[in-house]
Amino acid sequence: MLTLLARILKVLNSEASPWQIGWGIGLGLLAGLLPFGLLTLLILLLVCLLTVNLATFLLVWGLCSGLMFIFGDALESLTWQYAQHPALLQLLAKSETLQLFHLHHTLVLGAFVLGILLLLPVAWLGTILVKQYRGRVMSKLQQWKVVQMLKASKLVQLYENLN
Amino acid sequence: MIRKSGWLIFLTLLAAILALVYLFLGTAIRLGMVYTLEKAVGAEVNISNVSVSLAPLTLNVSELQITDNAKPTHNSISFSNARAALEVWPALLGYYVINDLSVDGLAYGTERNSPGKVFRGPNADPADKVDFQQLLRLDLPDADELLARANLQTVARGEELKQLAQNQQQVLRDIQAQLPDKEKLEQIQAEIKALTDSKIDNAADLTAKAAQLKKLQDSLRIEQQKLKDVQQTLSQSRQQLQQALSAVRDASSSDWKKLQDLANIGESGLAPISQILLGDFWGERIGQLEAVYRLAAPYIPEKSAEAAQTDQPEITLANRILPLPSQPYPDFWIKNARVNWLIGGGEALIELQDITAQHQIINAATRFNAEVTGLPQLSLLKLDGDFAVLEQMVTNVNWQLQGIQVDSMDIGRDDILLKLASATLNTSGKLNLVDNNVDQQARVVLQQAQFSASDNNYVQQLATLLNQQAEIPLNLNASGLISAPEVSIRSPLDKLLADAVLGEAKAKIAALQTELRSKLDSQLQQQLGGQSEWLNLLNQQDDAAGALEENIEQMLNAKLADVKDQAKDKLKDKLFDKLGGGN
Repeated sequence: MLTLLARILKVLNSEASPWQIGWGIGLGLLAGLLPFGLLTLLILLLVCLLTVNLATFLLVWGLCSGLMFIFGDALESLTWQYAQHPALLQLLAKSETLQLFHLHHTLVLGAFVLGILLLLPVAWLGTILVKQYRGRVMSKLQQWKVVQMLKASKLVQLYENLN
Repeated sequence: MIRKSGWLIFLTLLAAILALVYLFLGTAIRLGMVYTLEKAVGAEVNISNVSVSLAPLTLNVSELQITDNAKPTHNSISFSNARAALEVWPALLGYYVINDLSVDGLAYGTERNSPGKVFRGPNADPADKVDFQQLLRLDLPDADELLARANLQTVARGEELKQLAQNQQQVLRDIQAQLPDKEKLEQIQAEIKALTDSKIDNAADLTAKAAQLKKLQDSLRIEQQKLKDVQQTLSQSRQQLQQALSAVRDASSSDWKKLQDLANIGESGLAPISQILLGDFWGERIGQLEAVYRLAAPYIPEKSAEAAQTDQPEITLANRILPLPSQPYPDFWIKNARVNWLIGGGEALIELQDITAQHQIINAATRFNAEVTGLPQLSLLKLDGDFAVLEQMVTNVNWQLQGIQVDSMDIGRDDILLKLASATLNTSGKLNLVDNNVDQQARVVLQQAQFSASDNNYVQQLATLLNQQAEIPLNLNASGLISAPEVSIRSPLDKLLADAVLGEAKAKIAALQTELRSKLDSQLQQQLGGQSEWLNLLNQQDDAAGALEENIEQMLNAKLADVKDQAKDKLKDKLFDKLGGGN
């Protein structure tokens, strides 16, 4: 838990631009919602090639994968209910290559649509929040005794050395 | 914006992920299988190990146990090892096409090391089963009790008839006021007579009298219309009463049938003895097929109308494939399967081809055959059949079993226990399953059967008689829902057994039948009583109205004709005079 908190603080206080962190959150959310497959690998490639903050991406990916254990069934049922449109089914059946992305699987389709819808707003909101944090909260937070104690702890120092 | 070392990071991450997948895929599949199967069967599922090998892509499942939710100390199904070789390209596209599947050590009903958890209770509902104990004890319910239980339609229809008759009485009273006034009619009759009997002096007189006659005719027509209205009302009333009377008589016939069913007496007396003996047992065996249906149900393409009808909680898979208009492969397709089944201390080999739930995509039905020989308690078992999920799930099974050694079987309970100590059983038959509706015909022959009985007098007589038979043939038919099939079991021995064992009971049944019939008849008379008289009264009233109408019609026609004839005669006379005729 301490490590996780230290990691978040490290990212927030780092030199990474707010946009890099914002996109890390957005793409991490998209990858986390999707069941692991070719789409996840493509997102991972995108994250590696662009200067998106990797640590943020991996953190949000893990968190959102956990959330899908709770909300996965509801999303699956919802997709099954609303994805029976003939035009959509025709499009998904068009080529075998398209089926490599498993978008004809209810959970993949539902998660993909939800992730794409949330991607821009979440990336934008993440950027704004990081900017707000750095502008207003960071300097005050650094003075908190708890944070200073945390930063001074051996575990965090060890973690920072390893990174 | 572009990370220079991006590809390197990606490849490193990919390698790490692949390593993790390779290491933990087996565990992930095991957890997924346990979760899905538990959702489908409603009881604890255990899998000891799942491993994946990459070339060829093969999945190995070791020691799977599915708890029987009706008996948690035992498994419904278990196997020691299963191996499935998957085709890679369909798997990449998200379809599970298995070239070869082999299952070893499949067993049904094995004991578990510790009782499994049950998430959904057994579905069997014993409430509708034949009450063997009640029947053999001959505690036949009395006629009053049966009449009370039967919710007789005769009474309800009778009440409706009474209500209708009361309404009609009011109508009849109103009708009498609407009928033409007798005195008025007589007065009109007298006036017409006076008019037609009088002499016509000249043309003016003719015109005046014709006008007077027309006025009288109009009055008569008004009275005639009133009469017609009355007749129509009477006709409607009579029709309604007749219909209500028929309804009471029909209800009485249907009530008699219902009472016979309730008392378990039919055309040929008490229900056949073999039905009483084996009906429950066979119904339960057929009912077990439902477990198979429930297991298969999540994989069968959805039909929304049918899903809406069922009370059972809907079971869905964690990630379903959308019904694409042209799917390259079925959602799952096992091309060849070989199952080694541990049965009755021996082994059976079952071979299946083209297992899927989307037979229209592969354009073939799933075929299966099984043959078991050389078992200590079964000389031959042959089973073959096919099933296909098209508009409905259709399954056909044919079987032939010979020389089954039946060790012991309890029929009934407590003091009406009939124990089958030993017998040899031969059976053949066929079963047709359309969705969860079963239609099955089987012939079973018990040879050298030895029965022993409890202290009950009737059961002892029955056991003695059965032991004297060299062969006990039974025809077993079942139809209806798998969970609660209508089982009919008949044997050529039924009459013989019923006569011998239930001889004294027959008199009791006959007395009950007579009492029931007379009580029902009295109910019918009570309901019909006054209403028949009302119908007669309506008929009489209708006849009277008919006679009155005839009278008016005659009056109208006859008098008109007379006046016209008289006028014609007078005109003729005048013309004759003017032309100087008669000289």
